[in-house]
Amino acid sequence: MKFPLGKSKVLLTLLFVMLAVNFLAAQALRQPASDGDDVRPTGHVADTPTETMSAKPSGGAVVQGNGINYHGGPVLHGNVPIYVIWYGNWTNGPKASDSQTTVNLIDAFLGGLGGSALELVNTTYGDNTANVAGTLHLQSQIFDTGSQGTSLTNSRLTSLISSHLTNGSLPTDSTGVYLVLTSSNISEQGFCTQFCGFHTDQTINGKNIKWAFVGNVDKCPSGCEAQTTSPNGDSGADGMANTLSHEIEEAISDPDLNAWFDSSGQENGDKCNFNFGTTKTASNGSKFNQTFGGHNWLLQQNWRNSGGGACAQHL
Amino acid sequence: MQLRIILPFLSILISVVLAAQEPVKPSLARKIMTATRQVTLFTGLEKQVLEGIQKKDKSSLQQLLADDFEIWTPNGDPISLEDWLPAILGKYNLKSFRISQMSVRDFGDTVVVKFMRSQKAAFQGKDDSGEYFVVDVWRKAGEGWKLSDRYVSRIKAAVLPPKPTGKE
Repeated sequence: MKFPLGKSKVLLTLLFVMLAVNFLAAQALRQPASDGDDVRPTGHVADTPTETMSAKPSGGAVVQGNGINYHGGPVLHGNVPIYVIWYGNWTNGPKASDSQTTVNLIDAFLGGLGGSALELVNTTYGDNTANVAGTLHLQSQIFDTGSQGTSLTNSRLTSLISSHLTNGSLPTDSTGVYLVLTSSNISEQGFCTQFCGFHTDQTINGKNIKWAFVGNVDKCPSGCEAQTTSPNGDSGADGMANTLSHEIEEAISDPDLNAWFDSSGQENGDKCNFNFGTTKTASNGSKFNQTFGGHNWLLQQNWRNSGGGACAQHL
Repeated sequence: MQLRIILPFLSILISVVLAAQEPVKPSLARKIMTATRQVTLFTGLEKQVLEGIQKKDKSSLQQLLADDFEIWTPNGDPISLEDWLPAILGKYNLKSFRISQMSVRDFGDTVVVKFMRSQKAAFQGKDDSGEYFVVDVWRKAGEGWKLSDRYVSRIKAAVLPPKPTGKE
């Protein structure tokens, strides 16, 4: 089969133009969004407020005007499943808290946090569908002794989660929150110098996965622990519980980083970071302000999105 | 022209276009960090220094800066507190600022603080807006902290809108 030379030239030119336009259009869609629209949450940035974006809530579930703003994104509804990846040496690592005792304490913490007085503060947040339920449960947990090495980067953390979702050791659940908890022999860029933990969302295995990182804070007590003598006699576990409450509250009220944060980009947990409110004294001299799961805990307050807004231990 | 010549061209073009349509590989572009206690503390102190400059508040700056304070820039000799204060309180106009990406290394009575500072400012009428990378050394002083050394590098100048020419 042969085309006349003139016709094939025209055809080829037309095709080239169409495909080139299509190609360029696709590239334009892939440009990162301008960061000039709103201050994205950073969790720790002090700056001059420059908020310009404010989504208008259309349902009855969204209440504003309490020092934190709604930006149109979803919150996590219902009884939120929590998945834990214990990464590193949680048997007998360099710190005493790299231990089964810490695993048991964090399990008790996650088992009791849902429905606790503190978690109910999160029910003041919602989207146009419904409010946060204030309940969560430890769905499943796995141990990984070091498939990604001892020096983690963001991409290795992603690979870690992705590998466990792909191999089926954890389900791929866009309604839950995945927690990566690392022992003290594991390093992560910025841990202890910038942050004690973080949360994010990412497409993994074709679904939007919400996940958080929290390291063993015994690695940097002055940076990430409120007290060295702690309610459960395990400063690592008690310090991690505090950071975990912060990350979980934020991951539920701002799972895709486009729902609830204030004019300087701070989410509800950030607004009360290391702010504990009224405390009681335990028999070992440590301070605590919450009791659930059979233990006392010293947990930062959460920003209450009602009554003008304030850091609160309970509603 | 024969089809067997056109087809390879077409297949290459289509492949390139299809590759462009592929969803962007997910990357961790954003993460919301829980600041360490030191990041929270020194963000506050750095803000106080900048607000002192903004308000030309000599006494608050003297409380925050060590007597042997020196500021280092890529070009030129270090500037002492004695020389820096009159300049910063005189013809320096800091209109607004933003601190980001702070990290703090804790060495006990000394900490090294690193951060990015973007600002709108002018010095002696000349625009000094832009982004700066700052490394500060703070030393413990009693119950508080004093800034003893600052290393500052300009990353980029602010992009200003073109001046009207009157011909628009």
